[in-house]
Amino acid sequence: MQIFIILGIPILLAGLTAFIRNHKSAGILNCVGYLAVLIASGILLKNSVCSSAPVAFFYFIYLDTLSAFFIFVISVVVFAAALYSIGYIDNDVEKGTITRQKAKTYYILFNLFCASMFFVPAVNNCGMLWVAIEMTTLISAFLVGFYNTKKSVEAAWKYIIICSVGIIFALLGTILFSYADSLLEGTNTLNWTDMIANASRMDKNILKIAFIFILVGYGTKAGLAPMHTWLPDAHSQAVAPISALLSGVLLKTALYAILRFGLIVINGVGFSYFGNLLVLFGIISLVISGGFILVQKDLKRLLAYSSIEHMGIISIGFGLGTPLTIAGALLHVFNHAVTKSFMFFGAGNIVSTYKKHNIKALRGVIKTLPFTGIMTLLGMFALTGFPPFSIFVSEILIILGAFLKGSYGIATTLLLFLSIIFGSFIFNYGKMLFGNLPKELKKQSEPLSGKLAFLFLFFQISFGAVVFLLFQKDLLCFARKLFQV
Amino acid sequence: MQEIVLFGIVGSTYLMVIAKRIPALIRSFRYQSLCLFLTTLLVALREQTIDLYIVAFLLFVLKVIVIPHFLYRIIKKTKVSEDLGLFINAQMSLLWALGLTYLSWLFAGRLSTSPNGTGPIMLAVAFFVVLTGTFLMIFRMTALAQVIGLLVMENGLFLLAATISGGMPFFVEIAIFFDVFVSVLIMGFFVYRINKFFTHIDVNKLSRLKG
Repeated sequence: MQIFIILGIPILLAGLTAFIRNHKSAGILNCVGYLAVLIASGILLKNSVCSSAPVAFFYFIYLDTLSAFFIFVISVVVFAAALYSIGYIDNDVEKGTITRQKAKTYYILFNLFCASMFFVPAVNNCGMLWVAIEMTTLISAFLVGFYNTKKSVEAAWKYIIICSVGIIFALLGTILFSYADSLLEGTNTLNWTDMIANASRMDKNILKIAFIFILVGYGTKAGLAPMHTWLPDAHSQAVAPISALLSGVLLKTALYAILRFGLIVINGVGFSYFGNLLVLFGIISLVISGGFILVQKDLKRLLAYSSIEHMGIISIGFGLGTPLTIAGALLHVFNHAVTKSFMFFGAGNIVSTYKKHNIKALRGVIKTLPFTGIMTLLGMFALTGFPPFSIFVSEILIILGAFLKGSYGIATTLLLFLSIIFGSFIFNYGKMLFGNLPKELKKQSEPLSGKLAFLFLFFQISFGAVVFLLFQKDLLCFARKLFQV
Repeated sequence: MQEIVLFGIVGSTYLMVIAKRIPALIRSFRYQSLCLFLTTLLVALREQTIDLYIVAFLLFVLKVIVIPHFLYRIIKKTKVSEDLGLFINAQMSLLWALGLTYLSWLFAGRLSTSPNGTGPIMLAVAFFVVLTGTFLMIFRMTALAQVIGLLVMENGLFLLAATISGGMPFFVEIAIFFDVFVSVLIMGFFVYRINKFFTHIDVNKLSRLKG
């Protein structure tokens, strides 16, 4: 039943915000709505972990633990972004960057974007999954080009074209999957539940070719290198709360699609084909993003490349395929979502105060924005995998799993690039946070809603993993079952 | 009959490859969609199901009438040069297209399990259309050509789905139609914006964001 709350509220809110004149009250209404969604998805996750029986309605909606987990991740980040939006959009309106009418448009698009993302893990039909993912691209393109500058329009164009081509390849893969299914049954419904039931009897060659298309197609959307080229542009030009959503959860919804088809391939062809491909793309992403992070001069692009790196780590975790690494990868999906949104909120505050993206021009953030500065410092340590924070836990699980499995090469590459990225983050953020204050800037106050969003996420990035590890047995159990043939 | 329609699809696709101006490209897209509509109609007449008639009708309305009309409108309104901006000239493009045809024939042969009937030919044509769409997106410089390239790829996929898995489930088909239509509208909107800000729609010159 919770699923109807989760899918219904964003659509309802999109309708309601069209009639609310004050953008501030629209923002507060959003927050209340998404709090309800968050609670509902928490209950959903708890129920599905305990019972592990999938929920299905009319063959259209299908929820198992994997989907419940992704819905929970989405709802956490969406709630934080809704909270942060109130102060951020209000600030933009007062400065005259956007009009009141435009603020209203923002809230409508925000809600539609969230609705389309919630649909992705909930639908059973692979065709509808494709439609939902394409919808997320189309709606968020407006939010990427929201500020209507030359750069943002260019970013939006690249985003919509590259992702559309990617997703067309994913549709080709989906059609090939349904072909493999229809060879057995004569007809096909494209329902995931039907395909997984027939998976072991499907033609192996067709499955292999189809999965390549799926991986390239949805991998484009998931930000896996070398199909990542839209990502830094879109993330750096979008409105700050949307950057958080893009990086935190949009990439994960595409990853979810890859995992769904991956399960069919594992059942049909065996694990090693799926695992090797994911590890390969993961390593490429790690290497390419590591290089770009080293030479990066733009704050938001730095964070965007870090997203590619973390997506690489996650796909390595899933690709290695031992229970330990899968548990690590699942935890990392959650941890990266919350930590990266946290960092994008910080970057959003910094950029809107300094009006610049260039790291060289940003100095003395701790003096201008004390709260954001301290939070960003802590967030930076969290993002680079420093011990008390939760990303450390998930990364160590993946590395440990790799060593135990005997994949020493992968584990060493991972460690090497993590340390390179750690170094360049400390270098860039250190100068940015502690350097000398530019003369024309003074200490500024920060809106309450922004602070609340930071505190909410701070709890997640520092204790999230601990809370999850309290359920460790369930998580490991789920991880062991996930890829079981 | 079906072979003639398939030949029409291939022919119109070749016309797209050698087109030098945007209106010519849109016209060939219209021919291609018309042939696609005829293919669907033939299947519908054979199977006599109401779903297929609806799909064929939607295909005709959207891809033969509405979308080309919308694209023509964009050219009129933006008043940009009608030149497509070819990265490689028409003769070389034709050679490429021949290569792609052969490639898709090989690929279809590997994938197809039943060598009899028109099955493998349809498969090859579908792959050829998809590949040509990709080719158009990569080697043409204007934003509109990229939109059309995407539509061509989508046409190819429609043919592929109709060929190999007996079409997709009805509501998925409808949802995809709706989705393609919305995406063309949104891309058209962004073409207007690009034209407004840059006074051209040459995608090759969009290079502010780097690194």
